Amino acid sequence: MPATSLETFVLVAPEIALVGAALVAYLGGAFLGLRHGWLVALAGIAAAAMLGGCQAVDGAVTASGGVVVDAFSTFVRQVVLALGALVALVQAGDVFQAAATRGPGVHRGGTCEEAGTFVLLLAGLSLVACAGDLVLLFAGLELVSIPTYVLLGLKRIDGRGQEAALKYFFLSLVASALFLYAVVCLYGIGGSTNLQHIATRLRASDGSTGMALALVPAALGLAAVGAAFRLAAVPMHFYAPDVYEGTGPGNAALLSTLPKVAGLVVLARLVALGIAPAVGPDAGSVGPAAAAHLDLAWQLIAILAAVTMTVGNVMALWQRNLRRLLACSSIAHSGYLLVGVAVAAAAAATRAAPAPPQAAGGDLATLWTGALGGMSAALYYLATYAPATIGVFGAVAYLGHRWPQWASGDGPRPPREEISTVDDLDGLAGTNPVAAFAIAVFLLSLAGIPPLPGFWGKLSLAASALEVDWTVPLAAGGRRTWFVGLAIVLAVNAAIAAAYYLRIIAAMYFKSSRRGVQSDGGLAAGIAMLACLVIVAAVTVRPSSLFAWATLAGDAVSGAMPAATTSVPPSSTLDVTAVTH
Amino acid sequence: MPDLDPTSLLVLVPALPLAGAVVTVLLGRLLGRHAHWPALLSIGAAAVVAVSLLVGLAREVLVTESTTHGPAAITAYERIVPLWQWASVSDAYAPAAGTPAAAAGEDLAARAADRPNSLPLTLGVDLRFDPLTAVMLAVITCVGLLVAVYSIGYMHGDPGYPRFFALVAAFVFSMSMLVAASNFLLVYVFWEAVGACSYLLIGFWFSKPEAARAAKKAFLVNRVGDFGLAVAVFLLWMTYGTLNFHDTTLVDTAPLPGILGQLRLADASAVVGGAVGTAICLLLLLAACGKSAQLPLHVWLPDAMEGPTPASALIHAATMVTAGIYLIARCAPLFVGCPGALTAVSVVGATTALVAALIGTMQNDLKRVLAYSTISQLGYMFASLGTGTLLGFTAAIFHLVTHAFFKALLFLGAGSVMHSMGGVIDMRRFGGLRRIMPVTAATFLVGSLALAGVAPFAGFFSKDEILATLHAKGWPDAHGTHGSGHHADGHAGGGSSPYRLASVTPTAAEIAAGRPLPETVGLDALDAPGTWRVLFWMSLVTAGLTAFYTFRAVFMTFTGPTRVPDEAGHHAHESPPVMTLPLVILAVASAVAGWWLFATHLLADFLAKTPSLATPVIAATAAPHAFHWDLAIQGSLAAAFGIVVAAFGHLGRRSDGPQMERFLGPLGTLFANRFYLDQIEAALVVRPLQVLAGLAAAFDRYAIDGLVDFVGRIPVALGAIVRRSQSGLLQRYAVGGALGALLLIAALWWRLTG
Repeated sequence: MPATSLETFVLVAPEIALVGAALVAYLGGAFLGLRHGWLVALAGIAAAAMLGGCQAVDGAVTASGGVVVDAFSTFVRQVVLALGALVALVQAGDVFQAAATRGPGVHRGGTCEEAGTFVLLLAGLSLVACAGDLVLLFAGLELVSIPTYVLLGLKRIDGRGQEAALKYFFLSLVASALFLYAVVCLYGIGGSTNLQHIATRLRASDGSTGMALALVPAALGLAAVGAAFRLAAVPMHFYAPDVYEGTGPGNAALLSTLPKVAGLVVLARLVALGIAPAVGPDAGSVGPAAAAHLDLAWQLIAILAAVTMTVGNVMALWQRNLRRLLACSSIAHSGYLLVGVAVAAAAAATRAAPAPPQAAGGDLATLWTGALGGMSAALYYLATYAPATIGVFGAVAYLGHRWPQWASGDGPRPPREEISTVDDLDGLAGTNPVAAFAIAVFLLSLAGIPPLPGFWGKLSLAASALEVDWTVPLAAGGRRTWFVGLAIVLAVNAAIAAAYYLRIIAAMYFKSSRRGVQSDGGLAAGIAMLACLVIVAAVTVRPSSLFAWATLAGDAVSGAMPAATTSVPPSSTLDVTAVTH
Repeated sequence: MPDLDPTSLLVLVPALPLAGAVVTVLLGRLLGRHAHWPALLSIGAAAVVAVSLLVGLAREVLVTESTTHGPAAITAYERIVPLWQWASVSDAYAPAAGTPAAAAGEDLAARAADRPNSLPLTLGVDLRFDPLTAVMLAVITCVGLLVAVYSIGYMHGDPGYPRFFALVAAFVFSMSMLVAASNFLLVYVFWEAVGACSYLLIGFWFSKPEAARAAKKAFLVNRVGDFGLAVAVFLLWMTYGTLNFHDTTLVDTAPLPGILGQLRLADASAVVGGAVGTAICLLLLLAACGKSAQLPLHVWLPDAMEGPTPASALIHAATMVTAGIYLIARCAPLFVGCPGALTAVSVVGATTALVAALIGTMQNDLKRVLAYSTISQLGYMFASLGTGTLLGFTAAIFHLVTHAFFKALLFLGAGSVMHSMGGVIDMRRFGGLRRIMPVTAATFLVGSLALAGVAPFAGFFSKDEILATLHAKGWPDAHGTHGSGHHADGHAGGGSSPYRLASVTPTAAEIAAGRPLPETVGLDALDAPGTWRVLFWMSLVTAGLTAFYTFRAVFMTFTGPTRVPDEAGHHAHESPPVMTLPLVILAVASAVAGWWLFATHLLADFLAKTPSLATPVIAATAAPHAFHWDLAIQGSLAAAFGIVVAAFGHLGRRSDGPQMERFLGPLGTLFANRFYLDQIEAALVVRPLQVLAGLAAAFDRYAIDGLVDFVGRIPVALGAIVRRSQSGLLQRYAVGGALGALLLIAALWWRLTG
């Protein structure tokens, strides 16, 4: 393990800031009577974002003591912090259940614990993003998992909440154990915990490949399952509907976005082990072990992607409970994300074993080449999926409760009920048009309706899948056949998904209900909803900046040839003035 | 901000009304009866910006003009204000060999050697500023402002008061974007947006069944035109490999010529003619026919009068319906390459002008008279555009400007009458209103004189120019000054299109250089002097008819014994000042604008600097400004004849007499029933479509739906199976994960070894 130096601490300054904020929240809440824990959390996030922004890397890679900061980790870090701020707002607004179950006094004190725990989670996630060492990676993953089940336990203390927390806890342990086995296998391949060393050894074509070759399937399979838990992907997806249903919208927003980032990062780093750097002394050279690694990786991930999105979507068709439905939907979206990773692995495999030179002038697929590789598409998809999902949960948290069916002004009002099923949103467009509109926009984006961001995400994923081996003719069992099939599965799934998203929109706009929505959730959740709406609108109007950024990040980790990504800087292309006198 | 180009202020012209619309939507209920302020202030500010930009540009352009006079110095002015790039797709376009795009692609080929000739698709939000846009923007915002002021009085007390002003502001935004957009995609987007605003305003009183039906009709008929525009945009992309009007510079490559950019305009051969070019032009013409209510898509405009009268004045008389004129003028370089399509524009226009004028003579609804008059006048503009000469294009825009003023005036005057008569607009039910509403009567008379083309009111001059440009095409020898240099070439086909003479006919040198011979299509045969003579006579007859129906309306409404319908109650009165003030302003503009703009040639000289109209082929047709006494006398005689006949039938009489019907006999029935065009279209288009739709619906319900339902049940059934795995039991979940891991590893091992 490389020596830790002062530089290492500089590189993890954002994480240090986050942990500091967590300490302030914990100690302030316990000893100083601090009541605004979420403000501390937001301040910590802002500070971390600024510190991270200062480490501007333009394609440069800085590594020190197991910490690697490159374009990829910067992108992930900043996205995590942005999503963290949004989720923090939703969490802060998701107050009613806590207040109802614990009484107002306890609840107020509780926000500091929750906020501190949440910030620790973000610190873990941020560490995962920049981990260049297996130990640091694993520690980061645990720093994500442990706060998550603490939050699950803190938020709701009724039976279902505790059940959810316990389920998540135990399954998280299983996943961590499986992932640890993968770490062991990787250590066996590389003789080191440093990812760079492992990669070098894996790519080497000397005599030590036999052992590496034998360990590759186990490492891949176990690591994929470990990542699948974070992503809520098959075969570790079972918990999602139960846990989402048992917890509040704030935690659901968290679960559906932040751990997925960790899972995606793990898979990206895992795939990248086999990818030869584009430049440098050993550019392009890949031994048999790394070739097998890439080859198995794309097959594994492609299968997981297809199964995951199908399972998530067909299950969602049956759900009446809003949070269960969104849980199934989040499983499906993990499947979409996996498509991008599979494409990145396959593209790297293509480069490792050069195919016959590409014939010129493909018409359809040349469309996106160089615009977005698979990994970039996955990152772009993540960055567009997350605000929409957080926005939906933010809206649900903001709406809070509704009055049950209640006939007249006489008699006491029956107690309020939490918004839990799709039917509870009936006629929302009449009672709360802003929230209904926002939810509709988010759901349409999730369904991939143009010109919303989700459409561009799905389009780039499908296009990147179609591009794999574009010039090779379709043949049974060929790589291109696989990915054409995967693109078709993606398209079919998008169509299935539209069914249940549109059902919610139809409930809000075309049904009427005598049960009024209470709209007593926290204001913070409403702000989160509007912020998400602004983000979605901004990406709709101007998707190119995010494209460019995601491309940079994706290329950094998937080692795409810089020459193939001649992306013209956006917005500078049209500065044309034609004045002739 | 160093070196801020004042043209950047252009952004404000659409942005301010947009902000006004948004504020009205958000705060409409709060503002209540003050809801007009956001729209009024924002449109007013936009009008100030638009007019000052227009003045600044005119000064700049015309000063340049005066120093370098002469045909050789014809230059163009355009400035692009790129706002942002919406999306970009690299290597989106692989042009076929031989298209202009292929040539442009070669420049880019060096950048991506493995993808020869491919072009990127960039969807930019770019605004442009040139004389044509400047004039359109000024007209839109100024008329919009006056209509907004007028509406304060007209819409007073309406429950939908905030909604009305939000829609008007949204319309001004959309229309400004339409004329300021610098690529076909944005034009398409805002073409639809103005259509949506129009739809919402026609159906403003949606609880009235006629209004709802009229809105639907307008929407559906416009879809036909929009379809044409969509296909035209596809074809343009296929042909040119770009959708931009202007030339774009990609990073470190040669510039990519835009469709209407100066690079392409400088080289006439870069414009595609022949079958493809004609198809593009005819599709654009279809689009223009829809929006500008030309035969046979004119049927929606008379029904659109169900909307509030100020909306009719703004959208269905002054601005939106001129979008078609704007589109054809903007695409002038494409049209001059296709003489057949160009002539088709004139044929459609002149026919529409005549038919609509004939129908207009028999309408008894004041607003419908004006609606048919609008269709007829738009037909005039089309006829003028179709001549393909510089005078033709500028005369069309000139007429557009004057028409915007006097037709808005007439509509607002009709609205004032309607306001006072308690919503009654049937001219047979009132009369002698000049005693009750003198201001409305006087301003309406001014507008009518302008519309009828009586000197020296605005319509006289613009109509004279249109007649002159048609006359010049029909009798080229009589107008020796018109492009005489070209006629010396003596084209064998007898066509008088200057374009064909100037550059489509290849010279020996060009043939030697391997330039392909220009394609001609059968439609080009239309472009013969005989056609133009017929069109000229049709236009002259239309001029007489215009004067007739206009003054028939004036006499029926404002002269004769004073009669007021019962709906008006006993308080029939002149409209409040907030309504009459815009009338007076518009009346002054209608009275003097034509004379001023004609005498100084400001507008024509200015418009000639638009890149589309400064393309050499069109610029070569520039003729010295002349006042054609012979044509002016013919036009005036026609107008006078019309007025005299109208006076003979209606002056001083009770307005409910069936004078005209008796006089015309069966013809009158034909005109009164609008040539049965609605019925013919219903029988030929709507009924077959309904039958087809019924069949399709049955097929859809029984065959497709059954299939889809079946397919749709597959995922549901699959879900039922998968759902079983969600047992809620933690142990099973953990086992599932672990087994999954084992299975995956086994499968991977098998792939690796097997």
